[in-house]
Amino acid sequence: MRAFPIAIVAACYLVVPVVLGSNDYILSLVIAALTLAAIALSWALLGNLGGMVSFGHAAFFGVGAYTSALLAKDLGVPVFLAMLAGGAGAALASVVTMPALRLRGPYFALAILAYAQIFRILANQMTGVTGGAGGILSIPPLPTVFGFDFSSKLGAYLVILTLLVLGILAYKAIRDSYWGLALKAMHDSEDATRVIGVPSTRLKAAMLVVSAFMAGVAGAFNAHVIGFLEPDYAFAGTWSVIPVVAAIFGGYRTLSGPILGALVIYLLDQLLFKTLMPQGHQIMFGVLLGAMILFSPSGLLPLLTKPFARFKPAKRTPTPEKRHAAAA
Amino acid sequence: MLEVDKLRAGYGAINILWDLSLTIREGQTTVIVGPNGAGKTTLLRAIMGLIKASRGDIRLNGRTTANRATWDIVHDGVIMIPEGRLVFRDMTVEDNLMMGAFPRHCRKGAKQNLAQVYDLFPRLAERRHQAAGSLSGGEAQMVAMGRGLMEEPKVVLIDEPSLGLAPVVVDEIFRIIARLKREGRTIVLVEQNTHRALAVADHVYLMRSGQVALSEPASAVNLDRLHDLYFAAEAAGA
Repeated sequence: MRAFPIAIVAACYLVVPVVLGSNDYILSLVIAALTLAAIALSWALLGNLGGMVSFGHAAFFGVGAYTSALLAKDLGVPVFLAMLAGGAGAALASVVTMPALRLRGPYFALAILAYAQIFRILANQMTGVTGGAGGILSIPPLPTVFGFDFSSKLGAYLVILTLLVLGILAYKAIRDSYWGLALKAMHDSEDATRVIGVPSTRLKAAMLVVSAFMAGVAGAFNAHVIGFLEPDYAFAGTWSVIPVVAAIFGGYRTLSGPILGALVIYLLDQLLFKTLMPQGHQIMFGVLLGAMILFSPSGLLPLLTKPFARFKPAKRTPTPEKRHAAAA
Repeated sequence: MLEVDKLRAGYGAINILWDLSLTIREGQTTVIVGPNGAGKTTLLRAIMGLIKASRGDIRLNGRTTANRATWDIVHDGVIMIPEGRLVFRDMTVEDNLMMGAFPRHCRKGAKQNLAQVYDLFPRLAERRHQAAGSLSGGEAQMVAMGRGLMEEPKVVLIDEPSLGLAPVVVDEIFRIIARLKREGRTIVLVEQNTHRALAVADHVYLMRSGQVALSEPASAVNLDRLHDLYFAAEAAGA
């Protein structure tokens, strides 16, 4: 069983470059899909492990993008270092959003949504630093290291793949630690975890920081790949919505669900829906999500792993909404 | 060991405890009885720092713990076994128990303590890989107690362990409490079942409307008089 994920990762590193290496269009789609998967994974760190549904990951994505782009462009910081700083910047931004941790369930989600808007407005208004609505042009691309050009499509693919793999390892490490156990326990009753000595507030704050860091690095990566930023793009609602859709579509509270969900919905959208309906194809996200909730509330994953199970109503597990209502 | 000194606490605008004072002695079992709404659970929650004291003080070995974070109080050795089976339903019995070893100083002895808990509650050993949500009420109470013991506590606060359980199960729970007492642990037991609670008590407090109405060594308690006070309170409060 453990060999299977390793085989997939190996295939991603070895087979994909050989097969798709020369097809820049497909590779760029895969890069974008992996970027979304990285955001979805960062969201899942907070949403799945921490039990806090965020509608505001655009804030961390955008802050990471701007931090890294400005450091690399204006101060000449090496791009890979700037990307790490982008993650750190996003983590710092998450500290500002921490008052929202006092809220639970939908209220946390709404508060963090508001924070994302504040960051977008700041990016628009602080014209001296960010260039305002005009945006930043010609952001330095990914560098060439040891003769390998990471700014090529293949290079970018390897970078985002590595970021995603590191994210997965971090997720697993946290999930399998005492922290992960405590976070899982907090979904049931936060008071019950406190009286057995879990510093629940600190734990939630730490998860927010880790999640924001990862979203920030993803944003930084994206900025250097596309080479251009403006506030309405960097802080777009898409970056907040896609991870939620991906997580629910792929399988809530699993590790592979958000990643699989992000890849599937993005590639479906770009390769199928966009050609079928050039205008407003995003509406299909809603259709897909609705269909998934109706036919397989636990997401795409169970559909794939039990292909021969006959159609029957899914097992009644409490929905996230119910859990949060109970926790509130 | 644990001193509650003129404690005033409650939930927001609603005050529950009115300048309540009591003393928990080391190695003793202190039983707190009283009618519904007397503030027994609120007192335990205040000791654990889950709610803040608006006035008064709580001291553990002379050091104030009022308004400290709950997890720090746990670290100092005071733990609560909450009422109503607050177990983690989606987690296995064993994971529930291992949660008790979350504080760093408990992790080293976790394996050994787990074996002890299984020794104390053989039923939990049988069900170790079962989801805690699928347990019966009595078993869930055992999980809550076992989880608490994983913390190597100095003071154990137990909130209504017999609530809603079948008499046979209540027998078993009280056998365990008696065993903990024999091991020399300091226990604070909140219980509505006065008869059962008195059997394990060293000292008894009767709480009424957020105050101590009676404080007596268990040997001096007259059950009839205790019941008179207990029910008089309800009549007066109604």
